[in-house]
Amino acid sequence: MHPFAYARATDAARAVAEVAADPHAAFLAGGTTQLDLMKDGVLRPERLLDITRLPLGGITHTDTAVRVGALTTMEELAADPVVRARLPFVREALLLGASTQLRNMATIGGNLLQRARCRYFRDPTVPACNKRGPGSGCAAVDGFHRMHAVLGTSDHCIAPHPSDLAVPLAALDAVVHVQGTDGPRSVPLTRFYLPPDDTPHVENVLRHGELITAVEVPLLPATARSHYLKVRDRVSYEFALVSAGAALVLEDGLIREGRVALGGVGTLPWRAWSAEEVLRGSRPTTEVFRSAAEAALEGARPLPGTAFKVDLARRTLVRTLETVAGARS
Amino acid sequence: MTTLGTGPVVGAGIDRVDAPLKVTGAARYPNDFSLPGMVHAALVGSTVAAGRIRDIDVSRAEAAPGVLTVVTHLDAPPLERGPMTLLGGSPPAPLQDDRILHHGQHIAVVVAETAEQARYAARLVRVDYETADAVLDVDDPRAEIVDDPWGLDTRKGDVAAGFARADVVVEGTYTTPDNTNNPLGLMTTLASWQGDALTVHDSTQWPHNVRTTLATVFKVPESGIRVLAPFVGGGFGAGLRVWPHVVLTVLAARLVRRPVKLVLTRPQMFSSVGHRPNSVQRIRIGATRDGDLVAIEHHGMSSVAMEDDDYEPVSFGSAVAYACPNVLTEDKQARLNIPCPGSMRAPAEGQGNFALESAVDDVAHALGMDPLEFRLRNYAEEHPLQNLPWSSKALRECYVRGAERFGWSRRTPGIGSMRDGRWLVGYGLAGVSYPFYQVPCQARASVRRDGSAYVRSAATDIGTGTYTVMTQLAAGLLGLDVDRVRFDLGDSDMPYAPQAGGSGLTGALANAVHAACRRLVREFLDVVADDPDSPLRGAALDDVTVAGGRVHLTGDAGRGESFAAVLARHGLEELSADGRSTPPVSEELGMAVAGAFGAKFVEVRVDPALGLLRVARVVSAIDGGRILNEKTAASQIVGGTVGGISQALFEETVTDRGTGRIANATFGDYLMPVNADVPDMEVLFVGGPDRATAVGTKGVGEIGLVGLAAAIGNAVHHATGRRLRSLPFTVDRLMF
Repeated sequence: MHPFAYARATDAARAVAEVAADPHAAFLAGGTTQLDLMKDGVLRPERLLDITRLPLGGITHTDTAVRVGALTTMEELAADPVVRARLPFVREALLLGASTQLRNMATIGGNLLQRARCRYFRDPTVPACNKRGPGSGCAAVDGFHRMHAVLGTSDHCIAPHPSDLAVPLAALDAVVHVQGTDGPRSVPLTRFYLPPDDTPHVENVLRHGELITAVEVPLLPATARSHYLKVRDRVSYEFALVSAGAALVLEDGLIREGRVALGGVGTLPWRAWSAEEVLRGSRPTTEVFRSAAEAALEGARPLPGTAFKVDLARRTLVRTLETVAGARS
Repeated sequence: MTTLGTGPVVGAGIDRVDAPLKVTGAARYPNDFSLPGMVHAALVGSTVAAGRIRDIDVSRAEAAPGVLTVVTHLDAPPLERGPMTLLGGSPPAPLQDDRILHHGQHIAVVVAETAEQARYAARLVRVDYETADAVLDVDDPRAEIVDDPWGLDTRKGDVAAGFARADVVVEGTYTTPDNTNNPLGLMTTLASWQGDALTVHDSTQWPHNVRTTLATVFKVPESGIRVLAPFVGGGFGAGLRVWPHVVLTVLAARLVRRPVKLVLTRPQMFSSVGHRPNSVQRIRIGATRDGDLVAIEHHGMSSVAMEDDDYEPVSFGSAVAYACPNVLTEDKQARLNIPCPGSMRAPAEGQGNFALESAVDDVAHALGMDPLEFRLRNYAEEHPLQNLPWSSKALRECYVRGAERFGWSRRTPGIGSMRDGRWLVGYGLAGVSYPFYQVPCQARASVRRDGSAYVRSAATDIGTGTYTVMTQLAAGLLGLDVDRVRFDLGDSDMPYAPQAGGSGLTGALANAVHAACRRLVREFLDVVADDPDSPLRGAALDDVTVAGGRVHLTGDAGRGESFAAVLARHGLEELSADGRSTPPVSEELGMAVAGAFGAKFVEVRVDPALGLLRVARVVSAIDGGRILNEKTAASQIVGGTVGGISQALFEETVTDRGTGRIANATFGDYLMPVNADVPDMEVLFVGGPDRATAVGTKGVGEIGLVGLAAAIGNAVHHATGRRLRSLPFTVDRLMF
């Protein structure tokens, strides 16, 4: 591991100022991804500022939203009674991610910032990775890319976004609260991530030194139903090949509101706006769900190793929507 | 042949004698040892698969904090290649020239005060390669092909004539990927020289092989080398050979004149200690409409390293599995720029059985016969090549009793005819056998003045239960309670033992322990032969029985005395005896020496829309000869079954085209089952002691893994009508 200095932050504003002023400094929260990347030589910060003692935990509720402190752990959020009752697909996504041990360490802020699982990105002996070395190329395009993305990709990067949680949060129009040297600002999650294009090393809108302080998750109407379905190579403790998070509000036999996002297939948590358009005002039939799934995967750019994902994503979304619709009492 | 009078202790499913040490953390694995003045090594691996090193710059690494030395091919001394072993040749000695033969090849070793410093400095070594085009695929026309590498190709009868009279012929090409052994314990070597004497702690499955090899490589006397491996964190075959990292650690210790420890990283485990090679297999089977097999033809192609050997006769099992008059099996290897393969739990059979038992199922299906009935109809009552009766074979019992336990009769034959809601249900089975390595072994047994026994041999217990079963066996043979017997292993200063591999150790060691214990009882009788105070005076070995720490005349428990009494009266501290076992020979016995047999029954659930496959339950019926401990033996089968499920559903070591780099060399990327993937597994043992040896055990270390891939594939076929011919059975191969 590259040698680094370690300090514990005691004040959020000062921590932001310190990291912003030092291009080789980084925040440290749960560390479940970051320390791996440091051990593997992918990340080489010279200074780590541990923010886990900052007062950024805790979950608060209003009538319309759940506000989740950035240092809330995945297990804590999954156990929240309002999330359990009103946002079941958020809870499902949390509990289908990682393992119990990791979920007790990993924070919600860190979850949103977790890095690509691409093995070419994570192995510094591979010369070509535009995320690690801008302009060096992408070894995954011609390599082993069965786990990779088919939506939002570019010739420069095909790494999928690994978060399960971000899928339902994108569907819900969650908002990320950020603190920078200029004060706080808020960014909708659907505008938080940046597609790789020709700058895959820039993954989100955060400026260096900006700190996520909280995530605000709007509640669905009380009549809404939701489900998160994750298809993966083993039953537990594995990233998604494909996942789908969907919520439906049904009224008089019609879909008044449908929220849909996909995981495992996009370079970012993939909000399927066009699928939602198909759903809105339609009857909740398998035929409609298939049309929505077709729309969701429009523009997919599969490679030989990811060709199966296009159809698998459609089928996964149809199954998810069928499950949500079938759950009507 | 002496009958085995062992009392109730042998076979009983007692807890492992070393369990308290393991669960309290007191068991010391190689990485748990430290020595005064010890320093640490880290390896630099090649990042190309073929070519040569044009330049290697170690100046930054040498200047890094704590670094003692950096050794490359430019300054390494000449090293002999290790000797031939019964597993084949030794791997090439490292750092002997500038050539690169595979990605990950060790091209430098860094030694530093701490492990962190060594690893950090290893990243600072800069290498300039002259890269050559690597040969990475078995179908690359440039690959050198080795024909019949082990002289095991088989031609029996007339295969063409057999197919000519077949009413049904099925054929298929089956592929299996590279798999990596991945014992949980990262392979560790700790080497310490004192002059020309050397002590090595190593994650080995075979301490004597390490001793012999290091003596050859470093040209020092074997008598000065001591190899210790009291506990090893698993092996699955990865510890059978003396791999280059072991040699490099010993070399580093010699150069810096301090003890050196090296722990491989997980990614290095994928390219440094062997793997199951991939295979492409063509198989063709013909049968009459009555269901008689008339021809089997099986061609296997595997990969092997450029300048190394691996024993992997993939197709040979098809020559001895069934009573079939016409059989052709043929194996080839393609030399590639890859890390050398090596035995991985159930080598050869693990791949070959997948093709054979899948194709056999297809024949049964084509004939409209129940797959179980078809296998029983073609049962090989005697060894198909030796034409001798088996020393033991309870495969028929495996099929019949396994089917009963599983509920095979509930299977409805139609494809997709069984359902559970959205899930398609399938039942599948496979017949399996696993030959075991027949190897010589020695042991020494002593009884001390307090009446307790000490038995030892330079074997290893890689998690299989060797400590426990040998303690039980010695206790039975000496008439002692288990807690009065200590069995020790893992030290090359002990009597010679073969490798813990090839399912052969338990049989070889058990017979050596048996011989040693019998001789030890005779030693006691010799001591009292003329002793007027001994009730055993003049008794011969066949006249006595041992029980309760005493030796007494058979049929007269009152006429006898304890070991302790004999020793005390004769002023002896202890008595010892050596025993050895030699491999049984079929021709001498007039019997074909049999390995283990088994039948695997599997129920699967398939969700074809999402490509989901779940193994719902497994029943394994096993003929392992005499079972020395029902519990550890069942654990072996359960562990093998998990390995078989892993091979069938998850494991695939992927090599990058062009660079030859292993693309998934981490536990995050190389999948194996988690608990949620592992179903209820039932094990039943059938049959009895094998007739070829005194103790009558047949190894059960590998038979548990064999056949799961075929049985699962057959169950998927039953559920869906799809025949999967490539492992692993992943989502993308299962979406229908």
